[in-house]
Amino acid sequence: MIVQQIIEKAMQKAQAAQAVLINQETSAVEFDNDLLKSGTSSQRTEIRLKVILDGKVGNSTTTDLKDIDGIVARALEAAEFGSPAYFEMPSTQQLTDVKTFDPDLLPLAKPEMIHFGKQMMDMIKSYNPDILASAGLNKTIYSIEYANSAGAVYTSDHTDYSVGAGGALVRGTDILYAGHGLGQKKRSIDTEDIAERAIEYFRMAEQIVPVKSGVMPVVFTPSGLALLLLSVILGIDGKNVFLGTSPLRDRLGQSIADSRLTIIDNPFLDYGPRSSAFDDEGTPRQVTPIVENGQLKNFIYDRDTAGRVGVQSTGHGSTRTLTNLVIQPGETAYSQMIANIKEGLLVHEYLGIGQGNPINGEFSVNVYLGYKIENGKVTGRIKDVMLAGNAYEALKNITAISKEQEWVGGGYNFFSGLVPFIQVGGLSVTAK
Amino acid sequence: MRDRLTTALKSHNVDYADIRLEDKTDSWVNFRGPDLDSVGSSRVTGGIVRALYKGGWGYATFNNLDDLEKQVRDACETARLIGSSKTLLAEAQPVVDEITAVMDKDFREIPLKEKKAQVEEYNKIALGYHESIQATRTLYSDSFKKIWYANSEGTYIQDEQPNIVISVQATARKDDIVQSVHESAGGPEGYAAVENFHEKAANAARRAVELLSAAPVRGGKYTVITNPEMTGVFTHEAFGHLSESDFVYENEQMKALMKIGKRFGSDNLNIVDDGSLPGGLGTHPYDYEGVRTRKNYLVKDGILVGRLHSRETAAKMGEEPTGNARAVFFQHPPIVRMTNTFIEPGTTKADDIFKDIKLGVYAFSVIGGQTAMEMFTFSAAYGYMIRDGQVAEMVRDVVLTGNVFDTLMNIDAIGDDLRFAPNGPGGCGKGEQHPLRVGLGGPHIRIQNCVVGGGQS
Repeated sequence: MIVQQIIEKAMQKAQAAQAVLINQETSAVEFDNDLLKSGTSSQRTEIRLKVILDGKVGNSTTTDLKDIDGIVARALEAAEFGSPAYFEMPSTQQLTDVKTFDPDLLPLAKPEMIHFGKQMMDMIKSYNPDILASAGLNKTIYSIEYANSAGAVYTSDHTDYSVGAGGALVRGTDILYAGHGLGQKKRSIDTEDIAERAIEYFRMAEQIVPVKSGVMPVVFTPSGLALLLLSVILGIDGKNVFLGTSPLRDRLGQSIADSRLTIIDNPFLDYGPRSSAFDDEGTPRQVTPIVENGQLKNFIYDRDTAGRVGVQSTGHGSTRTLTNLVIQPGETAYSQMIANIKEGLLVHEYLGIGQGNPINGEFSVNVYLGYKIENGKVTGRIKDVMLAGNAYEALKNITAISKEQEWVGGGYNFFSGLVPFIQVGGLSVTAK
Repeated sequence: MRDRLTTALKSHNVDYADIRLEDKTDSWVNFRGPDLDSVGSSRVTGGIVRALYKGGWGYATFNNLDDLEKQVRDACETARLIGSSKTLLAEAQPVVDEITAVMDKDFREIPLKEKKAQVEEYNKIALGYHESIQATRTLYSDSFKKIWYANSEGTYIQDEQPNIVISVQATARKDDIVQSVHESAGGPEGYAAVENFHEKAANAARRAVELLSAAPVRGGKYTVITNPEMTGVFTHEAFGHLSESDFVYENEQMKALMKIGKRFGSDNLNIVDDGSLPGGLGTHPYDYEGVRTRKNYLVKDGILVGRLHSRETAAKMGEEPTGNARAVFFQHPPIVRMTNTFIEPGTTKADDIFKDIKLGVYAFSVIGGQTAMEMFTFSAAYGYMIRDGQVAEMVRDVVLTGNVFDTLMNIDAIGDDLRFAPNGPGGCGKGEQHPLRVGLGGPHIRIQNCVVGGGQS
């Protein structure tokens, strides 16, 4: 394997080395403004090399398989004055079995993807012909080869399939974009269900209803939970803990959220969008409880940060990225959750997420796609509404978690996972 | 290389085809806190073939440059599967040109070791500024991109695009309050652009410390003054994206909303996108379809007079191409993007703009901005209250939000100063294409009745 050749070459000078090779092929089709616009075929190759030379780390990447000498030379040059290595290369370990490859996806070709796309577009158009419909389907087949100087060699094959549909509806100066998408590592994605859900976001928005400023209960959709999860994801990042910028740094084992909240990072869900058996540092993946019954259980670490802190890597890769984030379902049916609210909001998408001071938990966002709940019913879309508060306070103030969980993931989300609807007792809402 | 590209293009069997190849080398040095976080270099080569047949696009992107003919065949085959109507592409004069980058100190000739020492110096300045500085994040990166472009109409352009960025983010902490401020510099100029950053590194730390004792701004409606960088973000995010014709050309309601001749602001409002602006971060002689860039008025004397086009959107709207088709990497086809977008200076003396404001907010510097058509939010890194015409106490968490049409109408004073925001590690994002280097600028402007987000305290 080429990664082993690179390791051999690097080890003529280095004391340790690891190489990762990614080979990827993508097919995609895209519909926009009611029309089939484009098709894409992509081929991608990337090699990443990390070496340790005299106790210091150097990195290099290339897309040219013939440039083995170049990538090794550049990594060695960087290592001469690189940061001290706080880690060792992992030796071979037993990997957990997880399904990431669906052979049924291999024969899926562009004509068939076009067919599914058209179906979704037709459904949206037949709900409301004024919507300018869009859809996209993407199939990616890739393989990863990993090798290091401690003798570990792993390979894995993946099939990613993602489907999305939605559209734009303009009424006067009001412009509404809505849609739904899903990514999995298998072919069995229900395209009709995707279109149905996209339509539901338009259906609930048929009326625009006024909101008065004040404090009111807020229901977060699974995808809308990104607003609160962003702070948690930054807070459990081992790097932020190590640097002292995470407000959670001294809170392991303590209660940081309502006791009904359990968040687990699980890389072993078969065909999950971010499932895999090992990370890009050769660390076997593991199930990592983040919050259990409201208690903070773990931070996530790469090998280098773990080494600096004196703990073990949690197998989240060199960039400390969560895999499939799973929030355990609660006891309340979603319909009951809505029915119990006299006056509140259902929030789904925002403008300005991540601006301000997310690591502190603070947020102040414009609700781009959100709905009013009145007397137990979703009555219409809200506009020009700011939602402000603190994510950590909101998580302590959870009043209900739905029985239903939904997959969130794909292009627009910075996390991927299986997540319920969550109701927070009261948040500050400013209406124009 | 010209022969390789033109030979490969000969095998096309569609209405139009082009090829773009890129060879990019990067190096970077990053510090987090006192520690060197990452240092390294990378080389990326690859390309894209675009084929257009009966109005449908086929794209092939690849890292492996060995068999360009195969890539052309693949793209054509896909285009023939997609196309079913009519190809429309505005005319562009074929050009042959070779552009060589001019840098003040070529960063490719500076050893990584020297770069590291320089970056470490800036990092130490910020880190050692004050005992409450908890963390720093100091990022240096340079990249040199060589581009070869050819299309089936005879255009061939060879291009070089250098980019260099230094950025220092300082994080100060007091009890549970954490505040971060960043400063950055750089551009296409060469290594000299990052050599005198000492004062800026200290400024980032100083303001982070100052923000610890600033109160969050109280949410509500205010008269808002934006400084030039903030004016630039507002112009780009809130208005500029609406001028990108790919949002408009197939959407009848959007066409009505963005109708040429419609009034968008007062008589003294002029908004420009200029890809030919000397020294701009979004400046380039040609766009990614080989169309010459130029100065495009979007709003003149308060009236909408133009918009930004690729060759396709221009043809479909019966307008001229404007040189705004840009792409971040070869993995993506070019789409309609801004270049250097700004409000032209007005007549109000910049110092006089605060006069007569009883209670207002002065929004400074930029953390980020986002828009969904007519709605926008953008965040100031920090701000000051304005009380009785004077700049008063510092405030934090200043987030401006609103409807762009109302907000443009509410601009009632435009300063006579003009400044552009510095280069930074980020850039403009659209769809999957991020980050694209753009110029953002303008004068101080005054906006009446602007919603500032914040708690209800």
